[in-house]
Amino acid sequence: MFQVIGGRSVQAVRLLAPRSAVLVEAVRGRKSRTDPVAKSKEGRIKVPPPVDPVEMVVLKERYTEYKLIMRALRLEFKEEVLRKKYEEETGSQAEERARQEAEEHRALMAWNNEENLRMLKARILRVQKEAEEAERKKIEAAIQREQEQQEFIKEKEREILRLQEEVKNFITMENLDQRIEEALDNPKNYNFAVDKEGRVIKQTVLQ
Amino acid sequence: MPRYELALILKQMQRPETAAVLRRTVETLMERGALVRDLENLGERQLPYRMTKHNQRHSRGTYFLVDFYAAPSMLAGLLDHLHRDVDVVRPTVLKKDAQSSIWTSLSFLEDVSPLI
Repeated sequence: MFQVIGGRSVQAVRLLAPRSAVLVEAVRGRKSRTDPVAKSKEGRIKVPPPVDPVEMVVLKERYTEYKLIMRALRLEFKEEVLRKKYEEETGSQAEERARQEAEEHRALMAWNNEENLRMLKARILRVQKEAEEAERKKIEAAIQREQEQQEFIKEKEREILRLQEEVKNFITMENLDQRIEEALDNPKNYNFAVDKEGRVIKQTVLQ
Repeated sequence: MPRYELALILKQMQRPETAAVLRRTVETLMERGALVRDLENLGERQLPYRMTKHNQRHSRGTYFLVDFYAAPSMLAGLLDHLHRDVDVVRPTVLKKDAQSSIWTSLSFLEDVSPLI
């Protein structure tokens, strides 16, 4: 009949629950459907609370009126909301707005495409220029390398010629004695000082 | 081949003996495959300090400069040989750079280019 609240048994619930007792309800916990009625409840007849007819009539009228008004208001509001929604989607303004938006979109897309084309052209030009630059640089580098190689070869050739000249002055078995005599006859002295022009100003004397 | 310079300090000797030492040094060099370029005499002079070699104290010596082209592998053997030579007071082998050669020849004095 009534609902169980929490606790294990009816008595415990009644003890734990507050005195204002909205939560506490009676519970068919101990007895089942088939148990006989208690002795103290044998002749009990359940009687509903007494009702004053006049009062009931008045109350009923007032309640119907009240409910009518409230229902009407509620439905009015609902209808308003629906109407607004409907107008939003398929009203006279909606078409105009949709058209305008479509126009705008088209215009923007067109502008975007223009921009893309412009940038594409600029990019192509730029890339071309860079490619040309790179080509030129490569060619220049190649020429530079060539030149350097040539220089190198020339330098080496000059060195070889110089050495070939100097070989004539080298010491061999034949001129060994002669060179020794020459060296012993001409002592060299490297102890000199030079000024900024490269002239010798001082020289130590060889003892 | 790299270019080396042998700064040789010889004992104070008479001229024929010095010539003999020089001759045998250059011959050793050439035997070991060096190409002797030039032989210079820096004179007989007082040594900067007294040097002892082969149980002899030297205060005067003759300086010679031999530049030659040689393989690096023969230098160790050459120096060993020179250390054992009784008449040699101090052998020193130095490498010659392309730049340092400007100082050994006096040709730079004929150049007009400034030093600095």
